[in-house]
Amino acid sequence: MSRVFDRYASVVFLLIGIFFIVESRAFSTAAYGSGVGPDLFPTCLGIIMVLLSIRLFYETFKYPPDNDKKAKLDWKRFGTLLIVAIGYALILEWIGYVLSTFLFLLIGFQTMERGKWLKSTVISALFSGGVYYAYVHVLQGTLPAFPLL
Amino acid sequence: MNTWEFLYNGFLVALQPENLIYALVGVLIGTAVGVLPGIGPMSGVALLIPITSTLTAGTTPEEAAASAIILLAGVYYGAMYGGSTTSILLNTPGESSSVVTALDGYQLAKQGRAGSALSIAAIGSFVAGIVSLIALVFLAVPLSEVAIRFGPAEYFSLMLLGLCAVSGLAGKSMTKGLIMTVAGLLLATIGIDNVSGVARFTYDMPILYQGLEFLTVAVGLFALGEVFKTILEKESNDGHIVKIGRVTPTATDLKDSAGPIARGSLLGFFIGVLPGAGATLASFFSYILEKKLSKNPDKFGKGAIEGVAAPESANNAASGGAMIPLLTLGIPGSGTTAILMGALIMYNVQPGPLLFDEHPQVAWGLIASMFIGNVMLLVLNMPLVKMFAKIIETPAKYLIPIIIAISFFGVYAVQVNTFDLYLLIGFGVIGYFLAKHDYPLAPLVLGLVLGPMIENNLRRALTASNGDWSVFVTHPLSLTFLIIAALWLIIPFIMKLRGKNVVINEEG
Repeated sequence: MSRVFDRYASVVFLLIGIFFIVESRAFSTAAYGSGVGPDLFPTCLGIIMVLLSIRLFYETFKYPPDNDKKAKLDWKRFGTLLIVAIGYALILEWIGYVLSTFLFLLIGFQTMERGKWLKSTVISALFSGGVYYAYVHVLQGTLPAFPLL
Repeated sequence: MNTWEFLYNGFLVALQPENLIYALVGVLIGTAVGVLPGIGPMSGVALLIPITSTLTAGTTPEEAAASAIILLAGVYYGAMYGGSTTSILLNTPGESSSVVTALDGYQLAKQGRAGSALSIAAIGSFVAGIVSLIALVFLAVPLSEVAIRFGPAEYFSLMLLGLCAVSGLAGKSMTKGLIMTVAGLLLATIGIDNVSGVARFTYDMPILYQGLEFLTVAVGLFALGEVFKTILEKESNDGHIVKIGRVTPTATDLKDSAGPIARGSLLGFFIGVLPGAGATLASFFSYILEKKLSKNPDKFGKGAIEGVAAPESANNAASGGAMIPLLTLGIPGSGTTAILMGALIMYNVQPGPLLFDEHPQVAWGLIASMFIGNVMLLVLNMPLVKMFAKIIETPAKYLIPIIIAISFFGVYAVQVNTFDLYLLIGFGVIGYFLAKHDYPLAPLVLGLVLGPMIENNLRRALTASNGDWSVFVTHPLSLTFLIIAALWLIIPFIMKLRGKNVVINEEG
């Protein structure tokens, strides 16, 4: 259990709770034919959330202190893949499904482990082309097509 | 019509060629999901929802729903079979409900009895699957007849009970479990309020009017969260696979396992029916029970066949038992059943007491297909277990990017907008950090699925009583549910205060 993370998390959950309570005040307090309006449920939940986050904050004081011995995390590879994934979402509708998926997989495979370019290229091409063919031509679904066609 | 006629009609649905194929594909993928460490039944089912929805496009809604749920349920119980394979051969459980199996299973494998252990696990799973299905057949109609008399107050209290049970047992900290439940319920309020038609928390963004899609959230939290974990923590399987000998049990193994299988099936079934207590708890308890009953408990942990038979039967029986509250009451008791419920709702099929009246084809087709699927698993698993064991060797280099690509494809194919893709990535990151710090994710998905229904029933009950909150405690059934819900939260709390260890359910 990480004391630092749980403290920050409890503050975030507290803010979420307050946000929902405050924003619910804008909704009407009654619906047609009923004294119970759309504000009731989110307001109640917001209050429970605030109480629970205070409880979590209080609990963190009883935690054993964080030990500094942390497992080394591979942030570089994670960051690269995260950026590549966001880039994939950005270009998907622009250059089409097949090209963007091919690029994403190729870069993804190489980020995971360098080398074996031929195998990576073949798998990327088979996956992107195969999914597109099966989904669009066999199952008659819709995916962004090639930009030039 | 009586139960037998319904079941007969169910078999007519399940035996249609395309549904047989769906069941086969479902259990095969499920076994693969169970074998692969890193993808559990929850992310497996979530990833397949978009694919089933495209596969079933073009058929009538009723048929599509039946086929889809047949495939998805196949993944669910197939994963219970597959999980045992890696536990026994590699000492790395493919999913949390097979953790106990590894204790004795791996020892057996090291003694060269891997084949016996695998076949006993398959037979135990099969027997348990059939036992829980028979119970499901006989309980389904009476239970839904009781449930149909429930008013909104009873429903609200019952759903509250379900949520309390799941969050109370969900993780190391009950506070965190409850926070995740409330977070799920809050996320569910985003979008158009379906009682009054008011847009809530949308801030004039049209994309938010339909609310956050449960599928995007589930795939993000479970599938992508798990992928990010593998990338960051560099998980790898260094263990080598133990050689499998003959995949048939000996006569003594069968004789020794008969009792544990029978007890594991019954215990697992009853634990599975309880909301919140899933396959993991069931396998754990049945292992302890066998150890207590055994004449020489010392051999447990050193390669006792009973230690494989009992938990493997129990986790399969529990997954069958978990279908009962889902189908008859519309209350999912675990993360995976919550995802199955979300899938049914996507097909406009509302699980609950009316399911058996309004969609008998879906309900009974599913039950019948589970009989067939269990037979398929038994027949396939014995000869194919060596092939499944090979799946573990898939290099992470290719697996990880492909899982991301499948998630993207699935979400985009259903939603057809890139907003959901960003949401997917966002929930993946959130899911990783929350899971890493012991925030259980299943309650969040459960809250998201049940949120709109809880709110509807709450407001209907309060509207009918003119805003009088006492309606929830004056109805006897509703009061009973509320008391049980409160006890579910209070008892573990008191036990913790008295310094006792509370068994918790990881996921499933």
